[in-house]
Amino acid sequence: MTTRPPDDLLIEASVDSPRIDFRFSAHQLSIKGESYPENAAAFYRDMNERTRAYLGSLDAGVTVTIDVALSYFNSSSTKVLFGLFNAFEEACARGIKVVLNWHHDAEDDTIEEFGAELHDEYPSLEFHDLPFDSR
Amino acid sequence: MNYDEYREFTSLVRQRDIVFYYFGYFSQSIISAMAESVRLQLEKSDAAPSKRRKIFSSFVEMAQNITHYSLDSLTPTEQRDEQLRQGSVCIGRDGDHYFLLCANPIAVDNVELLRQKVEPLGTMSVDEIKRLYRESLREETPEGSKGGGLGFLTLARDASSPLEFSFAPCGRTDAVMFFIKATI
Repeated sequence: MTTRPPDDLLIEASVDSPRIDFRFSAHQLSIKGESYPENAAAFYRDMNERTRAYLGSLDAGVTVTIDVALSYFNSSSTKVLFGLFNAFEEACARGIKVVLNWHHDAEDDTIEEFGAELHDEYPSLEFHDLPFDSR
Repeated sequence: MNYDEYREFTSLVRQRDIVFYYFGYFSQSIISAMAESVRLQLEKSDAAPSKRRKIFSSFVEMAQNITHYSLDSLTPTEQRDEQLRQGSVCIGRDGDHYFLLCANPIAVDNVELLRQKVEPLGTMSVDEIKRLYRESLREETPEGSKGGGLGFLTLARDASSPLEFSFAPCGRTDAVMFFIKATI
């Protein structure tokens, strides 16, 4: 494929939204912080659209790494995130390798279980469960 | 209210072990400020970290539900961002458990639809709630939902006993007060 990849995306964290650092040019994507914006679909729209355009621009054989380190996300963010990984799963079918690093507090069962849910639903992603000790 | 009545009011708050109570307008910026207050209260409590996280999550879901759906709105109904709507939320302790209560008026016409949606959650087992949660995660967002259709299920998932729902008259012919109680 020859379409041009989108520009890198950097959104700084706010009190209710995470830091999004999607370096498409380096194939390194990262989401970190808390996520409970009023309108999650609107907040993540730009990220979703650029990510889909980016994945569409990649040739087979490329490895994309995505690091997710969210300490809290509300129900509507959960829904958006779940949908986002569908795009990565589809990219895997075209020969792109996706590594998902799922960082969470070792004691946070909810986030650990959501990671397991992603792993289950999107088996083509190389999933790394990365609990950290916050104490 | 005079000084004595206010003292009575504050002593009731103490007796009932109320950690947080707010009545008024809910917007996203008000919610994030309240969320910070709730988090500080929980940090100094002896509640286990997992319980604190569930209380925090339930608080946000309840508060955002008011911002999205309360009938008493200062912003136009169709406005999707920077909404400002009225309701109340309360967090308290009852022995080893915490409880969260919230209330907001809803249109009389929406009562039946909402009842059909929430009442089954009050009778489901933990496994049934988990299964429904997993199914809803994979479904398209339902029409009319401003979240992802996962709000009530998230509350049910975080609760340690079944959610309780109540609809009560609120002195208006066009509205009914809708209450949710979650125990954690």
